[in-house]
Amino acid sequence: MIDELERLVGGAVTEVFGTMLNFQVSSEPPGCVKNGETHVAGSVGFVGTLNGIVYVYSGASFARRLTGSLLGLKENEIIGEEMVDDAIGELTNMIVGHVKSRLSDKGHRCNLTIPSTIRGEHLSVGRVSATERRVLFYSCDGSQLVVELIMKPVKSAV
Amino acid sequence: MKRKILTVDDSKTIRMIVAKAFKPFDCEVLEASNGVEGLAIAGMEKPDLLILDLTMPIMDGVEMLGRFKTNPELKTIPVIMLTAEAGRENVIKIAKMGVRDYLVKPFKEEVLAERVCRIIDLKKIENGPKTKRFDDPLQILVVDDKPAIHEQIRLGLSETRWTVTGCVSSEEAAVFPGALPDIILVSLSLPENAALTFFHSVKANPRTKNIPVFGLCVKTAVDDQSRAQQSGFAGVITKPIDYEDLKGKISRVLSLDTSYRYFDSHDNILVIKLPPVLTPLIANEVSLHLRTKISEAVDSGFEKVIMDMSQTLKADITLIKIGIEVSQLCQELSLKYRMVGSNGIYNECKNYEETKDWRFEKSFEEAISALSPQTVAEAV
Repeated sequence: MIDELERLVGGAVTEVFGTMLNFQVSSEPPGCVKNGETHVAGSVGFVGTLNGIVYVYSGASFARRLTGSLLGLKENEIIGEEMVDDAIGELTNMIVGHVKSRLSDKGHRCNLTIPSTIRGEHLSVGRVSATERRVLFYSCDGSQLVVELIMKPVKSAV
Repeated sequence: MKRKILTVDDSKTIRMIVAKAFKPFDCEVLEASNGVEGLAIAGMEKPDLLILDLTMPIMDGVEMLGRFKTNPELKTIPVIMLTAEAGRENVIKIAKMGVRDYLVKPFKEEVLAERVCRIIDLKKIENGPKTKRFDDPLQILVVDDKPAIHEQIRLGLSETRWTVTGCVSSEEAAVFPGALPDIILVSLSLPENAALTFFHSVKANPRTKNIPVFGLCVKTAVDDQSRAQQSGFAGVITKPIDYEDLKGKISRVLSLDTSYRYFDSHDNILVIKLPPVLTPLIANEVSLHLRTKISEAVDSGFEKVIMDMSQTLKADITLIKIGIEVSQLCQELSLKYRMVGSNGIYNECKNYEETKDWRFEKSFEEAISALSPQTVAEAV
């Protein structure tokens, strides 16, 4: 099932970034999260017949650029971190909402959690045992975008 | 009469995107963050159209729509659902709720505007919305229990065309004496947490919720500053007030056009005029407009640029960065370029590796002459 979800998440990232931001995202081979600056991570969970969580994160400067592009603001018009956090949370919400819609068409019933954001340097997402995890790397407008999918394994797909 | 569109969505980002989508149209976009707030605003404002999210805290879109449709005053107002959930089941549910249309997130702003225009008649604003300039009149409301602060701010902003109205309490300010303000400055040290209460009342009122509110406090009141930032204040102004900083913050939050302060044209020459003191804030403003102004100049057929630093008192890293940026842009675009600076600036620039070869003309007239076709030809 995680392969199917990975495919849906990948499609949702391309769709959301293309439609809302006019940004093209290209899939990158698995690698390392580029550290050296504060990262902003948006997360939204899904609970129901499938259970998991999706993290979308990037460096803070790219997150500001995304926010500016999303809201039609110049970077100096983005005041404080709240706007950036809200924008990254909303982008994550749209990505997971898009996945939920596709899952719903396949008969899965899930509810989404409210979006939340985390900021930090050397940010890393861990998983507990008995969960499956996929990390997707993207290049977008010259910056790195990382999407992590963690889910409880299911015995069989519907 | 101006059309009113009410957007109800718990995401501030989505509300801002919706407001942006309707900026080119002659309409007012009202915002609510949940169903309860949405019903209250709809009851007061009677919007021409409602754009409604489905999943929201306190009261979700389904419940709000149910109540909306049973209210005789509101039930005929067309509704567009804007939802992140587009599963077939969900779409069928939305269709049964009596909405006129639905749109799935992610969405294109132009598609949203087009769907709305199919339902209500919206007129485009000719030439787009007018950008306010720094020298346009503004109304500033200052809420501080010390009248001396009102006077200080009035004096500090006396070079602008901005009108400062002072109130000594939040109760006095709540009736908005005079015109509705463009900016509110409220003291964070008002007794009984009155600044936060006032802030929330401003944000709860659809007429005033988009007015940026700044907190005022002494530099050392870090708790007050952090509370204000967390509550969503547009920023904090610390006392003693740095008026250049205040003007910069107001300009940014209201997106005032400040470019005319630093960019001008003279006989088909783009002139970049730097002020006596180049603060990082001013440098940021100049830098922000630089590329656009130079591109506009090239588009208009200009081939020459003068960077006038004759008034600038000090050559520091801020000035050097701008100088390098201007010189690189001019080289990229093959523009002829001269700098004007005092002897002091010239001597200071000799001390830096990056600027030791910079050449300065002593006056604006000398720079024009140096850029004249004859002089350029002789130099070649």
